[in-house]
Amino acid sequence: MKARKIKGTDPAGPLAANAARTVKVRLAELRGFVPRALEADAVGAQHDMRIAAKRLRYVLEVTGFCFGRPAEAARRRAKHLQDLLGEMHDADVMLPQLREHRRELRGQDAAAIVRLAGDADDLDPALAARAPHRTAYRGLETLEVYLLARRRLLFDRFCEMWDGAEQRGVWDALERSADRALDESGG
Amino acid sequence: MARQVEIEGLSSELPFAEAAALVVETRAGELLRHSDGVLDTGAIEGVHDMRVATRRLRAALEVFAPCFPKGARKRVLKEVKSVADALGERRDRDVAIAMLSSVAESLPAADRPGIRSLIERYRAEQLEANERLVPYVELERIERIEAAVRALAAEARAAVGSGGGEGGAS
Repeated sequence: MKARKIKGTDPAGPLAANAARTVKVRLAELRGFVPRALEADAVGAQHDMRIAAKRLRYVLEVTGFCFGRPAEAARRRAKHLQDLLGEMHDADVMLPQLREHRRELRGQDAAAIVRLAGDADDLDPALAARAPHRTAYRGLETLEVYLLARRRLLFDRFCEMWDGAEQRGVWDALERSADRALDESGG
Repeated sequence: MARQVEIEGLSSELPFAEAAALVVETRAGELLRHSDGVLDTGAIEGVHDMRVATRRLRAALEVFAPCFPKGARKRVLKEVKSVADALGERRDRDVAIAMLSSVAESLPAADRPGIRSLIERYRAEQLEANERLVPYVELERIERIEAAVRALAAEARAAVGSGGGEGGAS
């Protein structure tokens, strides 16, 4: 996700005013992913929102002191968001890898069973019990269920976390602090 | 996770370009400090710490972009990104292996062979990623990045006529 350009920055101007412009744009980027990212299947929006949270977090890590306590609360929330969305992303990445791995094992097992059958007219079902990876499937199925369930749990936490931040006015408070910094600098 | 170094001398009234110089110099120093021992696959925090250091440096180069000469900043950013990408390839496998090992521990013995087979797959990828990482974490390369960042900082200061400089960051 390409970051939006920050307009009106001035290298000779004070840090606070320039940082305020950056924070306002990064905050708008983050909030722009809602409501889409709050839909369970919006994997792309959730991935981009994680990057937006990371960008806001890093700008606040360096310049947050210009905006007082609202910046610290917002930085913590942004980090939490980044962590939750990151873990959801990890599950989204691992699930297809797991399925591909299982598909490869099945292919290898099928080939091995055919070799065991040799020149027989038909395939003896008992040969399937001698597939080299036969003990692996149960664990992979269990793991898939675990990853799907964990992703769902993380998604619910993400939604709760986002709603909680909005209800507590975490982002609004940061926006006001940034506006104040701009007003004070005459920007 | 590696804690970031506090930046001495940073204030809200400081010119943006001087703040930029202080921050990127500090972040480049952090990158250099975390570049040792990352190729040990038995101690995965090293890769994580260096990756975080690249993220912070990238973030600083992006936040303070207007303060630096465009072409030079892009070249440094590209170089930092290539290091970060190589670290990320290793880190992704480290995280997957750690997570799967933890899941396997919690499951009955009958479920473990399948998870172990997936861990083996990630271990092979981890070793490949580690081999690809070697040239990206060589000291010479990281020192080149640090020098390039210091040159950017000097140009940022010069552009706004700020003195700054000598060890302003800690």
